[in-house]
Amino acid sequence: MLEGKLEQASLFKKIVDAVKELVQDCNFDCSDSGIALQAMDTSHVSLVSLLLNADGFSEYRCDRNIALGLNLTSLTKILRCGNNEDMLTLEAQENPDSLTVRFENTQQDRMSEYALKLMDIDQEHLGIPETEYAATITLPSAEFQRICRDMSAISESITIECTKAGVKFSCEGDIGNGSVTLKPSASADHPEAATKIELSEPVSLTLSTKYLLNFCKATGLSPSVSLKLADENPILVEYPLASGHLRFYLAPKLDE
Amino acid sequence: MNMAPPLHSGQQQSLNRFFTRPDGSKPPSKRQATLFSSAGRSKKTAAIIDDSDSTIKLNGDDVEVKTELNADEVEDKAIDKTSQLSTSDDIKSEGDLDQMFIPSPPSSPVSTQEEEKMKKRRRSRSASPTSDRKKQIKQEKSMKEEAEAVASSDEDVLDKSSALSEEEIIQELPLAKIAFDNDSSWPRNSPVPYAALCATFEKIEATTKRLEIISYCSAFLFQVLDLSPSSFLTVVYLFINRLGPDYEGVEIGLGEAILMKAIGECTGRSLAQIRADYRTTGDLGTVARDSRNNQPTMFKPKPLTADGVFKNLKEIAKITGSQSQAKKVGIINKMLAACQGNEAKYLVRSLEGKLRIHLAEKTVLSAIAQAAVSFEAKKTNKRPDPANIVKAEEILRAVYSEMPTYDLIIPAIIKDGIMKLRESCQLTPCVPLKPMLAKPTKSITEVLDRFSDQKFTCEYKYDGERAQIHYVAETGTTRVYSRNSEDMSAKYPDIVSAIPRFITEQTTSFVLDCEAVAWDRETNRILPFQVLSTRKRKDVQEGSIKVRVCVFAFDLLYLNGRALLRTSLSERRELLHSHFQEVEGEFSFAVYRDGSNVDEIQEFLDQSVKDSCEGLMVKMLDGEESGYEPSKRSRNWLKLKKDYLTGVGDSLDLVVIGAFYGRGKRTNWYGAFLLACYNPDTQEYETICKIGTGFSEEILESLHQSLSKTVIDQPRSYYSYAQSTATAPDVWFEPTMVWEVLAADLSLSPVYKAALSELGRGKGVSLRFPRFIRIRDDKAVEQATSSEQVSEFYLAQASAGGNQAADEFAEDY
Repeated sequence: MLEGKLEQASLFKKIVDAVKELVQDCNFDCSDSGIALQAMDTSHVSLVSLLLNADGFSEYRCDRNIALGLNLTSLTKILRCGNNEDMLTLEAQENPDSLTVRFENTQQDRMSEYALKLMDIDQEHLGIPETEYAATITLPSAEFQRICRDMSAISESITIECTKAGVKFSCEGDIGNGSVTLKPSASADHPEAATKIELSEPVSLTLSTKYLLNFCKATGLSPSVSLKLADENPILVEYPLASGHLRFYLAPKLDE
Repeated sequence: MNMAPPLHSGQQQSLNRFFTRPDGSKPPSKRQATLFSSAGRSKKTAAIIDDSDSTIKLNGDDVEVKTELNADEVEDKAIDKTSQLSTSDDIKSEGDLDQMFIPSPPSSPVSTQEEEKMKKRRRSRSASPTSDRKKQIKQEKSMKEEAEAVASSDEDVLDKSSALSEEEIIQELPLAKIAFDNDSSWPRNSPVPYAALCATFEKIEATTKRLEIISYCSAFLFQVLDLSPSSFLTVVYLFINRLGPDYEGVEIGLGEAILMKAIGECTGRSLAQIRADYRTTGDLGTVARDSRNNQPTMFKPKPLTADGVFKNLKEIAKITGSQSQAKKVGIINKMLAACQGNEAKYLVRSLEGKLRIHLAEKTVLSAIAQAAVSFEAKKTNKRPDPANIVKAEEILRAVYSEMPTYDLIIPAIIKDGIMKLRESCQLTPCVPLKPMLAKPTKSITEVLDRFSDQKFTCEYKYDGERAQIHYVAETGTTRVYSRNSEDMSAKYPDIVSAIPRFITEQTTSFVLDCEAVAWDRETNRILPFQVLSTRKRKDVQEGSIKVRVCVFAFDLLYLNGRALLRTSLSERRELLHSHFQEVEGEFSFAVYRDGSNVDEIQEFLDQSVKDSCEGLMVKMLDGEESGYEPSKRSRNWLKLKKDYLTGVGDSLDLVVIGAFYGRGKRTNWYGAFLLACYNPDTQEYETICKIGTGFSEEILESLHQSLSKTVIDQPRSYYSYAQSTATAPDVWFEPTMVWEVLAADLSLSPVYKAALSELGRGKGVSLRFPRFIRIRDDKAVEQATSSEQVSEFYLAQASAGGNQAADEFAEDY
């Protein structure tokens, strides 16, 4: 059986909100090391990969590996029934046909319990290989969100160009063009507000704005985000969690 | 977890565009490494180069063969070709051009001189450096083009629909075999990859030469027959872009909106962007392909197969009810996600119902015949006999027009061979055959010229809808089929229920060729076609029928288990009259007269027009030529229409006030225009019709140039047009240009406003089949045909042709 307790329901809520933009139905794979999720969107252009380590839960036990097939729209409906500060427990029996979601408020005088029916989802697991990225950019997640949002008004794709000097986001549309350049910066007081660039060689990728915007739904999960780029390879957008990560991959556009 | 099926490496690599599967089904690591570290893009270009390479090679091949053909010794040619044919496999595997020049078998009567020549050429060929070779190819290519030109002009002289001549086939055969490069092959007995089909589409689209098209098409079909015969039917349907026989009425033809939505969802692009791209390219297929190739997927799903695509197309066509749109988009998305290269382009075009690769069904029929004969020849290790191909093609055409359903023909070809098709597939009631058509004529003397010294007959040409009535008493089945073999039984329940009244006792099964004509039961007279067209099409309840029809039978094709196609018309007519009986207002025999001289025909023609018919049909009455030739526009049936004789009447001079964006060939120009007449009383321009016929490409281009300068944001306040957005043009113009336009007819229309107030019937006048004649530079827009004139034209026509009755009738209901 599975039992996982999170101190704050908001974490799980935010994760599901970020993922449901891309995927409607998917399997949550539970094992003794934690809960993982990996799914492609219907167009097979992007991939989301979540890992919640067991030690990220205040209590966690999972005797046997189970796959919980969930419809994320339905899951969202149930998660709305709890407050952000509530404690959240996920529970499932052996060979479950439903997932139990329990909320307890901070005063511990209100407890609510919901059961969500599971579905059989035939999902292919695809191996994500270790890639040597030419560039790793870490920047404030709010900054990344803002860039994507601003540029989405202009173009359907954003080019991310990374050199030693900095990283340049640029776009070109019918009405005009635009670019944002960020230089590496260090801020002793607010390490999460810093922009860091690790670079082995200059790299440039053009990506669909629509998907990047969808990734930005995860902004609330982490103050910083890292972008990993390698030529001709999918970009990796990673939001680190307290214990685990939420990763998005997006296949770059090809020049015509 | 699904293991990737064992595929050969070409496919494997595409599966793992970026990542590998964890199950170890990795392609060779070297390839994977290149893919990963860099070379997606450069690889792509390499592939393209490869491709062009192969086409160059291809042309070279054709050329060689052609030149060979130009030699004198026909027999030698044939043998030479077959040796090429039988060794085509070797050629494929080794890719060696010179392989083709395998000397003829010693038994063949080759003149030594000829052999010597060939040898010389071979030597010079292998010795010559590449540049020389290219030159040579070029030369030979131009020679080939000349030959082609000759062939095609010949073809124009002949009837286009006629089968290929033996000579043409001799030219095509080798071409067909070699045209196929081994890239698009696939393992035996595995499903046909959609990519291979698309590669063939691509080649077909790239040429406009019919011979080449046939050869590509038949080469592919041959390969399908050879490797995956069970997919043969599917492939044929995909070639002609249909989902089943016409009479089943399963059609695809999705709208632009739903396709754009699917393309957008699948490639992460906005609808606005896709719409903009569509406007510039005019082809959603190209938009889909470019969007797809521009935004690759993370992992590739399994490659599409022809059978899979066909199954999905059929499924989409059958989806109805709530959320059907979303379900359709879901299936389309799944397929689009798996598309590679050109697949998206042709998939979307198939979904649209327009393949647009100049591949007519006739051509596919020729290709099927060729492929089947070559395949049968290969089985017995013989060479395909050009004469056999000609024969096979004739058989296939004949059988197909008697029984236009590949569902039965293709399995029969595979089972019993194409040569036995006539025996295995015969006219069957309840499988509609293509109706025989008549050639138009312009004068009675033309008719007499054709039928001089022959027995012929004239029949009334009723103005209604062609109906083919099928009946089998045993099973109690009755069907009414349209001219296009659609099942109209639901539209004409009254015809179905009238059958027992008009057959006689000894009639147990039949196929009748008739015209269903609107009939006024009160006055017992024929009503014009316009009335018939107001009948409901679907779910007609017999009790609620307002427009009654009378069936005028003029031919009998099948009676009591016997096909009558090859019996003479006089005999068929006799059987028709003896096995059926007239029922007033429901069933009649077509009025006929076996005339012989001009005066008689003229008199009969006048009589037919008085009796509300379109004119006369003149048919061969006796002898072999009086048989029923399904689907043929035969010279044994001539039609003599009143309007052919009198001319179409006066032309109108109309003002251009709007236009619709062009599609396909007319991309970037205006494809159709909105015309108006001028009303001097109100000083308004009243819309009269949309026009898209009669323009040459040059004219369209120059019209676009001149008219695009007069585009206005909104219609002028003095334009009188229907407010509905559905009929509004894409752009409005300043009134500047007057065109002379000819039309077949004038009719009343709720959409157009011409002469609305003059007629005072709440409807405007519109033109049927308008045709552009020329620009009237000499006329100012105010001098265009006035509303009053339009109304006069209409009234004059109405009183002459009985349209009045039609309109009154239409108003009554």
